[in-house]
Amino acid sequence: MDTPVRLSTISANAPHGATVELRLGQVPMHQAVELVSVDLPADQAEPLFERGILPGCRICPIRSSPSGDPIVEIDGALLALRKETAECLCVRLINQFQDAD
Amino acid sequence: MAELGFAGGGRTASDTAVAGPAETPLVALIGPPNSGKTTLFNQLTGLRQKVANYPGVTVEKKVGEVALPNGAEVDLVDLPGVHGFSARTLDERITRDVLEGRVEGIRAPDALVLIVDSTRLEAQLMLVEPVLDLELPTLLVLNMCDELEARGGRVDDGPLEERWGVKVVRTSASAGIGIEAVRDFLTGVGVAVLSAPQPERTVSNVPGGVALPMVAAFTARRVRVREVVQNAGYQQPSPSKLTERLDHVFLHRLWGPLVFSVVVLLVFKSIFAWAVPVMDGVDFLVGASGDWLAASLPDTWFRSLLVDGVWAGVGSVVIFLPQILILFLFLGILEDSGYMARAAVIADRMMYRVGLQGRAFLPLLSGYACAVPAILAARTVSDERDRLATIFVTPFMTCSARLPVYALLIAAFIPAEPLLGPILDMQVATLLGLYGLGIVAAIGTAFLLKRTLLKAEPTSFLMELPPYRIPSPRSIALRLLDRSHIFLRRVGKVIFTVAIVLWTLTQFPRTDLGAPQIEESALARMGHVIEPVIEPLGFNWKIGVGLVTSLAAREVIVGTLGTIYGVEKADEEALQLQDAIKRDLSPGAAVGLLVFFAFALQCMSTVAVMRRETAGWKWPALQFAYMLMLAYVGAFIAYRIF
Repeated sequence: MDTPVRLSTISANAPHGATVELRLGQVPMHQAVELVSVDLPADQAEPLFERGILPGCRICPIRSSPSGDPIVEIDGALLALRKETAECLCVRLINQFQDAD
Repeated sequence: MAELGFAGGGRTASDTAVAGPAETPLVALIGPPNSGKTTLFNQLTGLRQKVANYPGVTVEKKVGEVALPNGAEVDLVDLPGVHGFSARTLDERITRDVLEGRVEGIRAPDALVLIVDSTRLEAQLMLVEPVLDLELPTLLVLNMCDELEARGGRVDDGPLEERWGVKVVRTSASAGIGIEAVRDFLTGVGVAVLSAPQPERTVSNVPGGVALPMVAAFTARRVRVREVVQNAGYQQPSPSKLTERLDHVFLHRLWGPLVFSVVVLLVFKSIFAWAVPVMDGVDFLVGASGDWLAASLPDTWFRSLLVDGVWAGVGSVVIFLPQILILFLFLGILEDSGYMARAAVIADRMMYRVGLQGRAFLPLLSGYACAVPAILAARTVSDERDRLATIFVTPFMTCSARLPVYALLIAAFIPAEPLLGPILDMQVATLLGLYGLGIVAAIGTAFLLKRTLLKAEPTSFLMELPPYRIPSPRSIALRLLDRSHIFLRRVGKVIFTVAIVLWTLTQFPRTDLGAPQIEESALARMGHVIEPVIEPLGFNWKIGVGLVTSLAAREVIVGTLGTIYGVEKADEEALQLQDAIKRDLSPGAAVGLLVFFAFALQCMSTVAVMRRETAGWKWPALQFAYMLMLAYVGAFIAYRIF
């Protein structure tokens, strides 16, 4: 879990540099990931925080809406996001067999 | 209540004047959206609810009385669902203001009931800390416990109680399980609260204020919550199989939008086809009771006022109640079952293109019944600019108050000639065209607004998708009852006043024979004053008076014209009125009048609710002027073309 799996990246403007590997939008279905950072202005990030979407939490995309926006599972709840928002969530893969939480 | 009254009876009136502790204790019900707040509220209060309307703020907060086992009573206020107290949405601001005791007409609560959905416990408990910061007696309700267990989850109350120092109860509000435990807590509050006034409080969303950066503060809170939840042996339930299966269809690339369209069409169909028989029934009752009243009263000015003025006026509005209730029945089922959240997700892309967001879908759909509840429903739109844009365009949706106007004019001027097949004739096509006109105006306006006045960076859209559940008939029935009260009271008052004023104006100046000829009445003189303004649209003074009175509410024009033409029955289906109006309007002007009503904001209730929801006159004034301009130009063009 400490060694992130390296994949093709768009980490150019990501705040955590090397540790950030992916954006949520690029994660394949049913692949659990850990949120690393939220690349959004405060007023847009706060609603995410209030719902428990914080760095360190586990997110799993489980479906996409008819328009291709991601629907993710987090803490047993389903949440619909926009593609644009998903592109602002920096995540890294976690090993499903030794799931952190 | 009597016993408690005696218990506190030692105090004098002056003691109680400031904080009013002699009043019934007040408990606030808070929790995240979709955690079952309103269901619990309904379980506890039953029919003992009143919709409180607090001046200054936007509200339609609900307060209900809870009868307790010891014979006492507690007032319970149902607050909007929130995830936090950042006051980003109007709902959050209202909740915060109520908790801090800053809302006029309602004092700060004496205790809190925090209700959370136990199937999503971790995320929901993020609200615990800010709530506990209020330092009020608090009850933590773990709702939907039956569902948690059925899906293989579990949690112990003990560690939660210990760590946070609150009492915890488990409920299933929809099944009525655990309600007594909540009642017991309220009884305790009732006994404890008859004491000193409460200190002032403030709510903060971010723990520790500015000490930590926001992310760190939230993360710290989150870590604490996780720790507590783990100590409580929380086992997250396995995903709902039913929800998975239904979402597979409802959010399917192909079936999803298809089901969505069918649902929207069904709602429409219900407003028209199914409501009409009931409306005819109500119409008949109003007419019959008016006739009976006329027959049983002596022929005096009072009878004229009551029957021609008040009864006809108020009756013309009451007939819309079935339509509004059917629409709200549908919306209630869609919301409570969990489908509305999916519909919002499907609609989001479309809405996003015109500058709105998925949450605007519900208000806009409600707008087909009435703009007033629709504008209130827009409070869930998270972004303030999006919310303003949504409520700005909502009155373009063809509300049910336009129907009687459309019905009268279409029946009088548009021939029922077949156009396409047996179903679509000219009349139906005209009606559909007017609906389309409203939609086009709404889309165009939203597009324009979001590129000018309400220009903003695209915002995020987050939508929780709750598990599908079977709606509780009791909860929906209570909501319909609530709607009926609001509708009858609000609109009834307006129509009542207009009817009296209008009738009075037709009775003066008095002549030797009593009431003057209509052409000589004060009303006609007023009408002639505005005639030059509407003359380019092909309207005469009678239509002008109708336009002015319909500023109160659109359908009033029908009643107004009825009175003016001196027709006994001011009913939109009465042949006399149709014939009379045909003499007064050219076909072009009639189409112009239809277009005018499609655009103009002829509704005092909407203006009033806009003022409350935007806390000022700027937006309602702009909206009124803009829609009037569109209406005038549109009617002018239509008059020239047809």
